[in-house]
Amino acid sequence: MIQCEQLRKSYPMGSGRKEVLRGIDLQIGQGEHIGFLGRNGAGKTTLIKLLGGVEMPTSGKIRRNMSVSWPLGFGGGFQGSLTGYDNARFISRIYGHSYAEIKDFVEDFTELGPQLRMPVKTYSSGMKARLAFALSLAIEFDCYLIDEVIMVGDANFHQKCHDELFVKRGDRTIILASHSAELIREFCDHALVLNQGKATAYADVEEALGVYELL
Amino acid sequence: MVSKIIAGWRIQRRVISALMIRELVTRFGRENIGFLWMMAEPLLFAVLVGLVWRYMKGPEEHGVSIVAFVATGYIPLTLFRHVVTRTSRVFSVNGSLLYHRQIKVLDFIFVRFVIEVIGSMMAFLFIGAILYALNEFPLPADIGALLLGWFLYCFFTFSLCLVLAPVSEMSELLEKLLPVTLYIMIPFSGTFSMVSWLTPNLQKFMLYSPFVSPMELLRYGLFGDRVNAVYDLSVPIAASLILTLIGLGLCRRVRRTLVVE
Repeated sequence: MIQCEQLRKSYPMGSGRKEVLRGIDLQIGQGEHIGFLGRNGAGKTTLIKLLGGVEMPTSGKIRRNMSVSWPLGFGGGFQGSLTGYDNARFISRIYGHSYAEIKDFVEDFTELGPQLRMPVKTYSSGMKARLAFALSLAIEFDCYLIDEVIMVGDANFHQKCHDELFVKRGDRTIILASHSAELIREFCDHALVLNQGKATAYADVEEALGVYELL
Repeated sequence: MVSKIIAGWRIQRRVISALMIRELVTRFGRENIGFLWMMAEPLLFAVLVGLVWRYMKGPEEHGVSIVAFVATGYIPLTLFRHVVTRTSRVFSVNGSLLYHRQIKVLDFIFVRFVIEVIGSMMAFLFIGAILYALNEFPLPADIGALLLGWFLYCFFTFSLCLVLAPVSEMSELLEKLLPVTLYIMIPFSGTFSMVSWLTPNLQKFMLYSPFVSPMELLRYGLFGDRVNAVYDLSVPIAASLILTLIGLGLCRRVRRTLVVE
């Protein structure tokens, strides 16, 4: 269970502040597949970062009663100058997992072969996405935070994600930030629409998509 | 409660060791001598400056070997300068690591500090052993004083970094002022002179510098009564404790508003 109470986040902007989130109350239970919908700049990524503990809320509280992955996107979580293998070693160390297991899983899932010996900064975004997913799946979190931008992979990658995440790990919580109606329909069983710093939850994905399209 | 603390300690130890390995691999690579490079720079500095001084001023100064005197001063100074320079904007530079919640901003400061400390200690031991073989370096007269001097010097350096790291995220001014400050401070760092060589007025003034007393103690620990060490340990201890408190508060505050890409 993740519980948010009156989350607010603002950033300095010129002499004032830009309020991105203005009081979000949210409860996400075990096994829920929830989509975050919103236009560009509505605060989807910000909310995901707060849930993942990457940034701190300006005010409000977050309680996490399950293990939550780091937000899966292109930027965070990696060290660009290190190789794929070195990143895997680092992740296995800080999460206290055996490197041998993680290595096998990463090799199998990413299909990157010898590229894993190259620095991550030389990877294409699709390759980074594969590595990010592989590492977080290998750690086995209760809840996965996914930024849509990372769903850039090819059909084969898409299929693998679907199998690993939604079939084998169907009992996990998944939070997917997206503005693609197609992705939300495919992966989520309910949705949250972010607009002007406020969030509205919809039990029905179609209803949420309807609201979102009118924004 | 106790089991929570133990679990937290385990995670912390895991994170620190992973970060150390990562830092060593990114900075020194796995080629040739690898992480031994971390003692190369303080070593080269100490040896080269020591040699230059020896030819300029003769083999001894105030009764001790000049090369040994320069080495004992220069190695802590390079430690200080490196740690401080590497602390600037250390939070944003390592921002991508904050994606993992078990990694805290304090770990960044601590890891860089520890790596530099290990590097300088190794350099110190190494140079000491070689100079000893050449009859230019004494055996430590009082190893306790030597270690306490080192410890206080390191503690002050670390506590200063606890303040500089968050301040460098708050204002760009710090980064611009740092190089000149690091240069100006050299005469007040106790690196090249002993307090007792100065006039009484200047002596009092010098003891207000938190570097000077640890440096004096360190040299006393090495050379013993061949140098006339003057020190007041309350200055570095008080300064370090105050800076640590301020620094911890600032780190916490800056972390709350830190923007992570």
